[in-house]
Amino acid sequence: MKTLLLLAGLAFAVTAHAQFRMPSFDINKMVDTVKNVGKAVKEIDEAEEVAIGKDVASRLLGAAPLVADARLQRYVNHVGRWLAVQTERPDLPWQFGVLDSPNVNAFAVPGGTIFITRGLLERMRNEAELAGVLGHEIVHVLRKHHLKAIQKGAQSSLAGDAMSMAIKDRAGPARDKLIAFGTEMYSRGLDKGDELEADRLGIVIAARAGYDAYGLPSVLQTLQAMSAQDSAIALMFKTHPAPGERLDALSEKMQPVLDTYSTQPQLADRFVRQIKK
Amino acid sequence: MKFLALLLFLPLLALAEPATVIRATDLKKEPATDSATIAALAENTAVEVLERKSGWTRVKAADGEGWVRMLSLRLGGAAATKPGASGLTQMFNVARTGTSGTQVTTGVRGLDAEQIANAQPNPAELAKLEKFAADRDAASGFASQGKLSPTSVDYPK
Repeated sequence: MKTLLLLAGLAFAVTAHAQFRMPSFDINKMVDTVKNVGKAVKEIDEAEEVAIGKDVASRLLGAAPLVADARLQRYVNHVGRWLAVQTERPDLPWQFGVLDSPNVNAFAVPGGTIFITRGLLERMRNEAELAGVLGHEIVHVLRKHHLKAIQKGAQSSLAGDAMSMAIKDRAGPARDKLIAFGTEMYSRGLDKGDELEADRLGIVIAARAGYDAYGLPSVLQTLQAMSAQDSAIALMFKTHPAPGERLDALSEKMQPVLDTYSTQPQLADRFVRQIKK
Repeated sequence: MKFLALLLFLPLLALAEPATVIRATDLKKEPATDSATIAALAENTAVEVLERKSGWTRVKAADGEGWVRMLSLRLGGAAATKPGASGLTQMFNVARTGTSGTQVTTGVRGLDAEQIANAQPNPAELAKLEKFAADRDAASGFASQGKLSPTSVDYPK
């Protein structure tokens, strides 16, 4: 159906063009292009998603390595995996990492890899806040927000067969382009709607896991109080809706859930014990 | 000792953080909707944040000290409301990436937009990351230790 629409659109474009000057186009080539676009929008399967995620994660780790603290890394993995178990994709190869950077940010990579920066972790007060942020990132993976954006965006530089090859063949020449594009996307951000959805559903996941549902809103207020002139948060502000807008959206849509689960544990003591060096 | 740890790790908890009431709300004696009302705070009232507790924030207002709904406050002074509007942030936004033409930040700290866009693979760190992953059983044990009880909550429609 999509192919048919594309064909119709192309036919129209060509006809319109022809009114001004004679085009020298090859109808067979055009049909091939349309076929390939059709191929490229096919669903990426889970194994491919995980493999793409590992390649992107490796690049992000090239930008900032893990904090060299095995106890801290295991702690964040426990919190994250407990949250992931509460979702519709409990058995993805979930892995969580604290990046050694003073910047305030977190990243969700397709296939179940989640990063949070040391800078963001140090500004949190309890485990419920950590759960809120990890819950938000987990939603990006569940709903394939980045995967879809990578696939959509990469089509402009990798048409048709090249795109299919890049998805399937980890050693192929087109792979680098796909992964470089996928990594660069973290410097540009997702659609606002994806971020707001991740906020709403992330709160639900934290509540399901037994945490105080106000963890994520608390972190958003902390970010709100940070100066926009602080370069540590520049990228986060550039790639996300403003914290105030996110809090307003939660206040409008999520107040009942927030209040129902506001008396669940925050685990401030356990958090502080784990975070301090 | 615990207080000392809090001071060290939670610098943002510093007392008397400024905040503004963004929607009219009641100043309550206790952090509960059925608690006595001390005063009605109008929109744009300036307050100071003293303490935060789940969905409630203890504040000092001209009418006294008490608790307000957390989501009725905007934290920070007026300057914190418009990220990226002026000053240093703009000064950092000077470079453009070759591939997308979007503006990127080129601050001196790590993990800024340009560093991400130009990152090269780090398979050694990726191997470490995989080593730290927790399985479902370990996660369940960890949750039990923290007395976290899983509960059924539907996604919003």
